[in-house]
Amino acid sequence: MNLFDRRQFIKNSLGTGAALSLAHATGTALAAATTPPAKPAPLTEKPPGIIDTNVTLFQWPFRKLKYSETPALVAKLRQHHIIEAWAGSFEALLHKDIAGVNERLATECREQAPGFLRPFGTVNLAWADWEEDVRRCHEVHHMPGLRIYPGYQPFNLKHPGLAPLIAMVRERGLILQIVFQMEDPRVHHPLIKLETLDARPLIAPLQAAPGAKVQLLHFSGNVQGSDLQALMAETPAHLDLSRWEGNGAIGRMIGSAPSGSAARVPLERVFFGSHAPYFPVETAVLKLMESPLDRPQLNAIMQGNARRWLPPV
Amino acid sequence: MSPHDFHFNPADYGLPTRDELVAYRIWDSHFHGFYGAQNPIEQFHANQFYVERMGIERSISLEIGGTLAAPLTPSPYDDAIRQLLETHQDRLSGLTPIEPGFPDESCEKMEKWIRRGPCIGIKYVGGNKSGTTCRHPNNDPIIRLAAELNATIYIHTWLKIGGTPRLPGRDNLPGESTPMDVAALAQRFPGVRFICGHSGGDWELGVRVIRPHKNIFLEFAGSDPHSGQVDYAVHELGVDRIVWGGHGPSRSYATEIGKVLDASLSRPNRMKILGGNFRGYAAPIFRQKGWKITL
Repeated sequence: MNLFDRRQFIKNSLGTGAALSLAHATGTALAAATTPPAKPAPLTEKPPGIIDTNVTLFQWPFRKLKYSETPALVAKLRQHHIIEAWAGSFEALLHKDIAGVNERLATECREQAPGFLRPFGTVNLAWADWEEDVRRCHEVHHMPGLRIYPGYQPFNLKHPGLAPLIAMVRERGLILQIVFQMEDPRVHHPLIKLETLDARPLIAPLQAAPGAKVQLLHFSGNVQGSDLQALMAETPAHLDLSRWEGNGAIGRMIGSAPSGSAARVPLERVFFGSHAPYFPVETAVLKLMESPLDRPQLNAIMQGNARRWLPPV
Repeated sequence: MSPHDFHFNPADYGLPTRDELVAYRIWDSHFHGFYGAQNPIEQFHANQFYVERMGIERSISLEIGGTLAAPLTPSPYDDAIRQLLETHQDRLSGLTPIEPGFPDESCEKMEKWIRRGPCIGIKYVGGNKSGTTCRHPNNDPIIRLAAELNATIYIHTWLKIGGTPRLPGRDNLPGESTPMDVAALAQRFPGVRFICGHSGGDWELGVRVIRPHKNIFLEFAGSDPHSGQVDYAVHELGVDRIVWGGHGPSRSYATEIGKVLDASLSRPNRMKILGGNFRGYAAPIFRQKGWKITL
């Protein structure tokens, strides 16, 4: 069954306490909360697979993660109908030998799940010769993009190397992913003390490199929302949804919530990202179901938007 | 669009369908439907869309009577919320926040909202003006009264990293309890059960703090979802000591349900965490109030 409507639900659950109490509530608070019913058409097409643009391989430095082994992670992603995963490396956070980090990532993707795992190597703007790492990622490892981790890597977005990096990836047709957070700062290991990353310095280099493919990972903006607003208004930056939180968050961000709130992010700039294996894959996929999204919106977020940037192998 | 309609079948994505979520009988022990909004009633009604969509059977609000910021000061919405608790008694329950810096006033509030009112328990807020955590002796009369009323006791805890040298818990707000504070309180009242809320935030540490104290439940809402965290809690505490919270609307039900779906659990054990354990904890006060409860 691909479509779950109220009649089917009651048919399936009648006789349970839950169903009875639900039926009671349907006539009360729910009446105020629901929009006029607009039933989806019966599903006839195959459910679209998901492109997960925020996955990371190898060992998180501070905990043994449940799906840290690549075969287990790939199986887990496939269990949730992920058809492709853009993979960075946890080694990129603290290692100094960036070339080694990228080589191991490329090898792991190629050997464990070619075509499914798309390697996103890294460069560290604070270390010398990072331009050579860009070249190797592109020309030697044939990676489709790069992922940088400001904060863990000792630079912020005011670094003078950022504009040249964005220009280089544009020239080479690479995707650049910028990671804003890996974990809640309140639970950092005591040795880790990172500054809050200010997104606004990104605006000028993005404006200077029209056509550059830059995606912000695990980013929801500051409390006031001013940096998100500025980035959406003044740059073509894209986002993943792994950091979006709150009931119906995806719908609210793209302006498709029952409350009717205005869009904060254009639909075409939203990519699916789970932040697995640090986050459970289930949370991001379930958020797609939690928000009342229509089929074109789901298709765009699940794979259409990401596919515009990166064709399949 | 009805909250019951989905354009794609969640089962095709390795997820429970809405029918299956309903069948889990999810009880949300950490509901913030009235918190943080200019009009809490409007927010509650808006959030009901997601309560329905995600198949939540019962929501237990933590902010009934006053507000979390000023628990002992009546809120202009108290009467309207009280009415909602009565009219939605089959889907909505409430805890009333107390202030341990003022034990007499807190007990008076418990008499009003629990003994003579619709609430089933108390909440310790994440910080207070008096700077009094749940460890302080002020709490003893509050806990004695809660025990007499069979009230559930939810204690917000965190272990925020900070201070010099940096250590977990040193950035907590004044009066914001830690799992260590809950453990100290639970040791003084071995016959009373408590919920250690948010798992202390830093769950790897919080779980180990409460592990020896079998009268403490763990609740793990309101922090980021970490793969493996529920497996860890089950391994250390046993599945019977874990209760689920949704923390909506400020957190996604998807986030909090996802934590449980990530865990390697049998269906009966998943149902215990998602609702069964809390029902067992709250059953005495439900029956005392003459309300039907099916475990």
